[in-house]
Amino acid sequence: MNRTLMRMFLILIAVVAVALPAFAGDYPLQVARNIMLYMALAISWDMLLRSGQISFGIAGLFGIGAYAAILGVVRAGMPAWLSIPFAGVFAALVAFLIGFFILRLRAMYFSIVTLALGEIFRIIVHNLHDFTGGPEGVVMQQGVMFGGNADKLYWLVLAGLSVAIGASYWFEKSRIHFALTAIRNNEISAKSSGVDIFRWLLLAFVVTSAIQGMLGGIFVMSYGFAAPDVVFSADFTLLPLAMALLGGIYSTRGPIFGAILLGLVAEWLKLKIPYGHLVVYGIMIIIVILFMPQGLKNLFKPAAKRTEGRSA
Amino acid sequence: MRSSLRRHTLNIQAVKMTIKQRKAFILVGGIAIAVVLVLWKPTVLIYGLQAAGLYAAVAIPMGLVLGIVHIVNLSHGEFMMLASYATYTVCRALGVDPLVALIPTALVTALFGWVVFQLTIKRALKAPELNQLILTFGLAIAFSQIINLIFTSQTYKLSLEYSSMSLDIGDLSFGVWSFVFVAVAVIYAVGLQIFLTKTRTGKAALAVGQNPKGAAIVGIDVYRTYGLVFGLSIGLVGAMGALFLTKSAIFPGVGSPFTMKSFSLVAMAGIGNIPGILGASVLLGLAENFLRSFRGTRDWAEIVYFVLIIAVILSRSLKGEKS
Repeated sequence: MNRTLMRMFLILIAVVAVALPAFAGDYPLQVARNIMLYMALAISWDMLLRSGQISFGIAGLFGIGAYAAILGVVRAGMPAWLSIPFAGVFAALVAFLIGFFILRLRAMYFSIVTLALGEIFRIIVHNLHDFTGGPEGVVMQQGVMFGGNADKLYWLVLAGLSVAIGASYWFEKSRIHFALTAIRNNEISAKSSGVDIFRWLLLAFVVTSAIQGMLGGIFVMSYGFAAPDVVFSADFTLLPLAMALLGGIYSTRGPIFGAILLGLVAEWLKLKIPYGHLVVYGIMIIIVILFMPQGLKNLFKPAAKRTEGRSA
Repeated sequence: MRSSLRRHTLNIQAVKMTIKQRKAFILVGGIAIAVVLVLWKPTVLIYGLQAAGLYAAVAIPMGLVLGIVHIVNLSHGEFMMLASYATYTVCRALGVDPLVALIPTALVTALFGWVVFQLTIKRALKAPELNQLILTFGLAIAFSQIINLIFTSQTYKLSLEYSSMSLDIGDLSFGVWSFVFVAVAVIYAVGLQIFLTKTRTGKAALAVGQNPKGAAIVGIDVYRTYGLVFGLSIGLVGAMGALFLTKSAIFPGVGSPFTMKSFSLVAMAGIGNIPGILGASVLLGLAENFLRSFRGTRDWAEIVYFVLIIAVILSRSLKGEKS
């Protein structure tokens, strides 16, 4: 009974999300696109977090995807629709190669290295003037995808978000869930139960990086422009992280909930305070970590068991 | 039995010899590089050392916190930025020199660091390491954005005569004021070494760093020590904030690169090895300025420390020295 109700509710949300352009103006659509983009990034960050690995390199992979897509179009003459999956595949390939080295690291060492790699990608793109356009960036001569049609661009981001949600459900409902949770809770016992830790971590890292790269491609195709300081901006690491933490980590619903709430608050504050509205994100992170490490989603189910995975 | 023992001691002697050889090798290599640089590119040596002094003086307080409180403080550079802004405001309002404000700034930031520790970090000390990392990350964002809110993203700079002093040797001309950073770095390293090994509080702090439970059993107040060490670290970095203002323009994001640089230096030196930070800084400063001295590689200087930190962390993990 309850389950059918839930399913009906979800279908309703999906229908509203798809039909939004029919009754919303340009500005709400723009806000919705932004929120959905960060939501998808937050979900992808959380997917890797389920294995206990905390990445600070979302912006790095997002930026790589963005540049792969726009350079694919500008330099290789790729059609715009193809450049988005290409961005995902390229980011996945990069993640696969670096994963062999960095997935041996744990805890803060992994986090710091992902942060440093993001910076390295940015500097490389910044300095390869002839190929990437240097600090000024690249502009797509043929213009924005779909000729800038707001409705179609909205559906494009929605499609990207659907991929992220789909992948997240796949991670939640399949064997991967057990493998990642086991790794997060105790690596030694996971290993002795026959979990191939490195293989699962590599899978999670490559899949989440592919999603981040693909979103980078979507971002750049809907703005027709890429510059190192724009697509490698720390916001793409910071905002998704705060959203997932606020909503509640280790789930698909948490980041969705957190993204809607924080996205709307930030959008409202952006209009009120042009400088420093991001302070909300910092304070939100501090409050969540100190007072409700399980995020908002668990405030509504007090009976839920607190299972804090302590990772060394 | 006896022969195996002897072989064992021989082995130890051989290991000791190789360590000695390695140290001698590093020393000779270092002197050789210095000589080559003096003859070929003296400015690389001068600016490299000045940069190294700045990096080391900021990194040493972070090494102190990491070695004793065992948290990676990702808001380290932001504390320095806050101190710079505080000094700037005071200097503008009262018309005093930043050097006059140096000691008061250090004291106020130390107190501020202590309060931040009591309010936030202390509560997360028992939480998983990741929570602490994210918490200090949140502090960093909150600090830089609050400054952004008050001062906007505009840059501020004090123009001081003494900071643009230069020295001419032959046809070589270079700024000398930045050597103050080298002096401060050395004072910090030596001072902390004395504090940690000679004073009662320092010895207690060292004991807490080595084994908090053991320290608690012998009657040391662990949390009080953590608070003191954190406050001390922020005070030292606050003094650097005032000094930094004498030389550089400040803006809300000015501190964050120092967090990364400090961490990479501390990781390179090895956690708990404060004098090692000096050596690591010299390496980083020289490497950066070496690349900066060629037209073709100038833009790549920024990448050096990111590559260095990844190389160091990866080589450590391959050796199996996991934390």
